[in-house]
Amino acid sequence: MVTAGVSGAPPRRLRWIAVGQVLLWAAIGLGAFLLLAKSVQNSSAFNRLQPAILIVDVGGVIALSVLLARRLWGLVRDYRAHVPGSRLTARTVAIFGALVIAPLLIVYLSSLEFINVGIDSWFKVEVKQGLNDAVRLSRAALDLRTREFAARTVALAEALARASPGEVQARLDAERRASQALEVVLFSTHAHVIAASLESPLESLPSLPPEDLVRQVEQHLPYVSLEPQSGGRYLIRTGAALGSRGSRDERFVVATYRVPAQLAAMSEAVQNSYSQYGDLAAQREPLKYSFRLTLTLVLLLSMLAAMYGAIYSAQRLVRPVQDLIEGTRAVGKGDFGTRLPLPSRDEMGFLVHSFNDMTKKLRRARSEATQSQQAVERERERLAIILARLSTGVLAIDRNMTVRTANAAAGAILGTELSAATGRALPELAAGNERLGQFVAALAVRFAAGREEWREQLDLDGAAGRRTLMCACTPLPGEDADMGFVIVFDDITTLLSAQRDAAWGEVARRLAHEIKNPLTPIQLSAERLRRRLLTGMSERDAEILERGTRTIVQQVETMQQMVNAFSEYARAPEMHITRFSLNQLVSEVADLYRSQAPRTRIRLELDEQIEDIEADRGRVRQILNNLVTNALEALEGVGSPLLEITTHLEASADGAYAAVTVCDNGPGFQRELLGRVFDPYVTSKPKGTGLGLAIVKKIIEEHGGRIDADNRPEGGARVRVVLPVKDSTRSATGGSRERRDQLRRERA
Amino acid sequence: MARVSIAASEEQPGLVVVSMLRTDLTTDRSTRGALLAASCALVIAAWNLSLADALDGVLEVRSAYVNINKGVFLLHARVEYPVSEAIRSALKDGVTLSFDLDARVDRERHFWFNANIVDLTLRRELTYHAVSDRYVVRDTRSRDQESFSTLDEALDYLGRIDAWPILVEPQLDGGSYTISVRAGMRRGHLPASLRAILFWTDDWARVSEWYTWSLPV
Repeated sequence: MVTAGVSGAPPRRLRWIAVGQVLLWAAIGLGAFLLLAKSVQNSSAFNRLQPAILIVDVGGVIALSVLLARRLWGLVRDYRAHVPGSRLTARTVAIFGALVIAPLLIVYLSSLEFINVGIDSWFKVEVKQGLNDAVRLSRAALDLRTREFAARTVALAEALARASPGEVQARLDAERRASQALEVVLFSTHAHVIAASLESPLESLPSLPPEDLVRQVEQHLPYVSLEPQSGGRYLIRTGAALGSRGSRDERFVVATYRVPAQLAAMSEAVQNSYSQYGDLAAQREPLKYSFRLTLTLVLLLSMLAAMYGAIYSAQRLVRPVQDLIEGTRAVGKGDFGTRLPLPSRDEMGFLVHSFNDMTKKLRRARSEATQSQQAVERERERLAIILARLSTGVLAIDRNMTVRTANAAAGAILGTELSAATGRALPELAAGNERLGQFVAALAVRFAAGREEWREQLDLDGAAGRRTLMCACTPLPGEDADMGFVIVFDDITTLLSAQRDAAWGEVARRLAHEIKNPLTPIQLSAERLRRRLLTGMSERDAEILERGTRTIVQQVETMQQMVNAFSEYARAPEMHITRFSLNQLVSEVADLYRSQAPRTRIRLELDEQIEDIEADRGRVRQILNNLVTNALEALEGVGSPLLEITTHLEASADGAYAAVTVCDNGPGFQRELLGRVFDPYVTSKPKGTGLGLAIVKKIIEEHGGRIDADNRPEGGARVRVVLPVKDSTRSATGGSRERRDQLRRERA
Repeated sequence: MARVSIAASEEQPGLVVVSMLRTDLTTDRSTRGALLAASCALVIAAWNLSLADALDGVLEVRSAYVNINKGVFLLHARVEYPVSEAIRSALKDGVTLSFDLDARVDRERHFWFNANIVDLTLRRELTYHAVSDRYVVRDTRSRDQESFSTLDEALDYLGRIDAWPILVEPQLDGGSYTISVRAGMRRGHLPASLRAILFWTDDWARVSEWYTWSLPV
């Protein structure tokens, strides 16, 4: 049975694997999307997730590559092995791959170019220059302020240097108010506050001067700095030493001013732009590289996935076709049990369904054909048994007389084994078999004459005598013109013999009845005529009368003998069954004839195994007498006459039989008479009634035995008598009293 | 220049390994495929290593300790950050550098991983303020900032961490504790979307080894 690839894992398992793969890839895709979304929102989270993302991506590429390599390798292997459907799969994969990869490559190359051009355009020289100019402009704007405040501070320092200690605070306050400074502080050595004027003295303390300011004013150099503050504010800090270089006055004044908000905001905007641009510009090459790499990775993933999908889809598409091919091969090999799995409910599914339907019908048809064949076989066997049991010979031959079939009876009737001769020509089988040769010749004559359907009686002569067959021939029906003939024949020799026996019995009975009665009056009348007339007649007349009456009496006696013989033949006396020794009886008869025919050598071969038989002893003696008499008569004139009498015990399925064979070395039976030697009046001898063997046969049949006669190969006649040992055997084989009664009735 | 030299010195061994593996390859196709894939991975790894050299120089936590003031553990640390021409140039071009100081307090466990009690990061940014020609150090959380006239002053300021409260006493419940401090710096201040794109090539990022000691409880 071909299922799902006619092989491999069960379909349910495969389906679960496919579903699992789809879910896995969906989860990976969703996870990647979520990671991306999360990383875009939170860069620190992204930093933590970087390794995971990298592992997932590389793992995905490796897994996909391995899967694709496995699929590709399987495809190549199938292609080389000429697996059905592999070429179709390869072609489909190539088309799918080309359809998917070509646009992907085009998009990829276009995107690369776009990235290069696009990112370069972000960092044009003009932009950078513009930003630098803006920074310079802002600096120039602020420089005006710082220089102004620096000059005021230097002037203040000079004024303070000349002022008395009592005037210092007033000067500081005046200066702060005049310049709108945040604070103006006078420091001594080690940055100790001497005096300070603050904008909001209750909220803050004087700020400590930066170290670089201290260092610079210690060298009696004016200090000015623009300090960016949080919130986009700017402070201008100025410092100046009170004494001139070389003086001992180490005091210095520090003033802090606020840059106007508008100018500060504008400057801060320029600074922010500058900074952002710097950050971006630093990432110019990495950005391009990252874009390329990301794009390449996406392309790789897409191509791998597309190729994998193409192979998977192609194999899924081709799988039903492969199943169909394998199924068709299986059907071609005679496996009609092939059932293919239904792939889907589409046209392919319909095709597979039709295939399954076809194999189902084929399977049913083959089953029916097998059943029919078995029925035919059974019928054929039954017919063969019937033919084998038939006593009628049945022979089927074609127009070349080649045996097609023959039953055992045909072989038995024709004297050869025909059951095993199927396929052989009848003329070939007839070599050495005279009877079969005649049979074949008779058939050939009729077929040559164009006679195909006939029913005739055939007489076949052979060593065992003439056999008469009732033969019917008819052409075999069929579409083929050379179907041949069937010949049905019966050996009716026995039937004809029985008919002749019956006819002769009737003749004998009539003769005995119609002729015997007038004979005695005829004889008596002739004798009376002779007695009465003889005395008164002349010598010459008396002689004539004497000769006439003697002739009449002699012929009447002869006729009476003949009539008696017929009477004996027709008689069916009551049998007196006794037990006696057959060997002893044979010896007695032989001894009797040894004395009567001293010239003839009589040899006995008696089987000691023969026990006493149950038969009518007198009639068995009559059988032996007749046979020995016949043999002795045949041996007259023979140089060294020899008479052999043998007895033999034969065992058969229906009982024991005693066989008595009487052979001589005389001339044997005439060939033409061989089949009718047991008929009345069939004799080659000049004297005798010709009823001897006929009577023998009748007695033997009454005993349930059988007799046959033939000529010995070395010369001489041979008559074989078979008698049942037990009377019960006789009854079982049909040679019973009923049969005798039936014969008697027939004769009556 | 440093990048080029390191790139050469890193790539060369990688290539030697690849060629050596190829000469020893057997004829087995699957083995050859696996070795080829491994060789490609090595080349990619060597190439990536070659890019992480922009912040070359000493980056380490020189010293660190904590003291307790009214139940608050205050961290004091001295960190040395690298100074190079590449950094100066990048700052002058407007690039922002981020300086992270990670502090961890773990409770030691004998039969399992240590339990993390505190995981804090002090993040500050250093930018060159082109308008005022000063280096500005800004706390990213409080947005407080200080400006310095030189880069060395700014880095010195960044390397001095004093009295950073990292832990309060109620967080401790006996046992042994370790404190770990690590400094890191990277080129930052990019939009998050760009950071995602720069996933592969952020070679301006370094961290120091952990500076770890036991908490004196």
